[in-house]
Amino acid sequence: MSVLAEVLTVLLNGLQQGAIYVLVAIGLSIILGTLKFVNFAHGALYLIGTYAGLLITLEINVTDGKLADWGYTPIGLEWGFLPALIIVPVVVFGVGLLMERFVARPFYDRPDTDQILLTFGLAIVIQEVFKILFGGQSYNFARPGWASGQVGLPIIGTFPEWRLYIIAITATVVVLVYGLIEYTDFGLVVRAGTRDAEMVELLGIKLSRPYLMVFGVGAALAGVAGVVGGPLYAVNPNIGTEILVPSFLVVVIGGVGSIAGAVLGGILIGETLAIMVAIAPQWSQVGIYVLAAIVLLARPQGLLGSEEVAP
Amino acid sequence: MSDEPTETPEAADETGSVVERTQRELPSWERVRESELFVVGATALAVAVFPWLFARAPVISGVLNGYQDLATLILIWGIFAMGFNLLLGYTGLLSFGHAAFWGGAAYAAGVFSAQVSSSPVLVILAGTSFAALSAWILGFISLRRGGIYFAILTLAFGQMAYYMALSPLAWITGGENGFTGVQLGKLFGVFQLRYPVPMLDWLVGTWKYVLVGGVAVLCVAAANRILHSPYGMVFRAIRENDQRAEFVGLNVWRYKLMAFVISGAFAGVAGSLYTVYSAYVPLSSFYWTTSGEVVIMAVLGGVGSLFGPILGAGIYLYVENIVSGIQQLTLPFTGPNEWLTLVEEPVVLLDGFGAYWHLILGLVFVAVVVLFPRGIWGLFQDLGGALRRLGGSAVKRLGGGR
Repeated sequence: MSVLAEVLTVLLNGLQQGAIYVLVAIGLSIILGTLKFVNFAHGALYLIGTYAGLLITLEINVTDGKLADWGYTPIGLEWGFLPALIIVPVVVFGVGLLMERFVARPFYDRPDTDQILLTFGLAIVIQEVFKILFGGQSYNFARPGWASGQVGLPIIGTFPEWRLYIIAITATVVVLVYGLIEYTDFGLVVRAGTRDAEMVELLGIKLSRPYLMVFGVGAALAGVAGVVGGPLYAVNPNIGTEILVPSFLVVVIGGVGSIAGAVLGGILIGETLAIMVAIAPQWSQVGIYVLAAIVLLARPQGLLGSEEVAP
Repeated sequence: MSDEPTETPEAADETGSVVERTQRELPSWERVRESELFVVGATALAVAVFPWLFARAPVISGVLNGYQDLATLILIWGIFAMGFNLLLGYTGLLSFGHAAFWGGAAYAAGVFSAQVSSSPVLVILAGTSFAALSAWILGFISLRRGGIYFAILTLAFGQMAYYMALSPLAWITGGENGFTGVQLGKLFGVFQLRYPVPMLDWLVGTWKYVLVGGVAVLCVAAANRILHSPYGMVFRAIRENDQRAEFVGLNVWRYKLMAFVISGAFAGVAGSLYTVYSAYVPLSSFYWTTSGEVVIMAVLGGVGSLFGPILGAGIYLYVENIVSGIQQLTLPFTGPNEWLTLVEEPVVLLDGFGAYWHLILGLVFVAVVVLFPRGIWGLFQDLGGALRRLGGSAVKRLGGGR
């Protein structure tokens, strides 16, 4: 294996790692940029997405937790991965709508700190509910059969097929969301609302529905991330909080409210992780925080963030 | 505290209310309650009787089921939450990275005790200085962004500390196993920490509690002094409106940084005390759930008051240690093993209750954030105020009044 092949493999791994962060971070970023609402429960949406995906994809055996007590030890529909990829975002979209209406909306006028505290508490509650239902143990979210093999690539040689699918799915979703925000009337209203919500309302456009949709879309993206990322790690009730911190870093590095920023930040963090794992595995996790510190010291509003959108 | 009616109209007069305050001959009850001597004295008294009330008093301890070490732990976390509240409740900055200072101090204290000196006082000083220093550095970076970004950044750098301790620094921190080499000598070279206090062991138990309790009283005194000084006034001004504080000519950024350092130092005191308490530093003391716990404690008890967070710490640890052991939630006064039993057969409300403690605490936390932004302590204050008003109006109706 040549040096070039190794470098390319590492970079491709970084891209795949970053792809998950991108999916989670875009939702965080547009919710934060448009609604000025900081959602510490976004990781919990990822958690919901993963478990929903788990239930749809395979018949899982629950050995402890409330569901087992009630007699539902084997649960799940065994519909396969593609249905999960379509159904889960819809489900989590619904959860997002509920969250906007009943959690976020009453708190738009409260201080930032109250929003953080509320969503933090909500994240704990959701995590605990899942712990009670499914027990604390880890499940294996098998990758779909059609993508479990290795694929031959030029120069690199073989590469796990699933990782390429992750990159492809993420790229598709990002393009769709980018199109939605940049080229539709809905996106126009959202972008205008990000700039100056008061002016948009004065023009006679009610922002409550676009806001609802933004929250739903952001949540759905976290759901997609849950399904796509599920097979990468063991699934347990803590994954929501574990993905939250790096995703926030992606938002901060990329710049709030910017989709391109979230993509750039996600790729940077993913590549940093992959490169550090390759050259200094001990420091791999520390590396992303150092990266965040450097970016902040040099450019506090984030790489692609603008000063007025992000106070 | 700011919205409490502490100032009577004459004190708020245009000519220097401070002078008037000292010249009053007979201070009212409100004034006495505000005075530093009273606050510190009452705290000292409460700290002295707390373990007895909690673990050994007749009837009360039977109901509470508490134990001596839990009382110590509550004081330690109380200091942590109180320091955290100096930042959140008084300066309005929400940090999710205070585990870095708690854990940093705990590790620094542990390493110091093993390498330099095992004197408990020096160990605490070493841990505290380390925490204050790291708070300075992290605050310097995190305070480049305000509001929500500050919360995210502190969270991120707290996690960075966790991963630093986990692997690159594992040769000194012990990595996943935590730091086990804590050495503890005698307090002032005389008192062995784990020995009971002669004559007074029925009240305060061991010297360890005396040390923790003494430090806790000092911390309350320090926090009280800071909050009632002009410096603390600036913190409150920044919380209310930092732009206006800036226009008045205050260097807001500097004050915020100092608030962060002070609160980091309190976390450091608590973290080093924890090392003294448990003679072991677990890696999880760096994990961000530790920051989350202190956030919950402070908010649950009530931000913006001196004692609210300590109450919150007490409630949290009590639920975590005692309530989580309860297998069945029964109606009060039913079933055996209670000091007052009305019905012999226990009436079970919820089976496997202990497993839900985290969920219940989470729900209570959400309810507090939504309904009582000033926490349980604020709720007590409001209730007390309502009672007093009720009494006042009754007096007025009877033709009395002041």
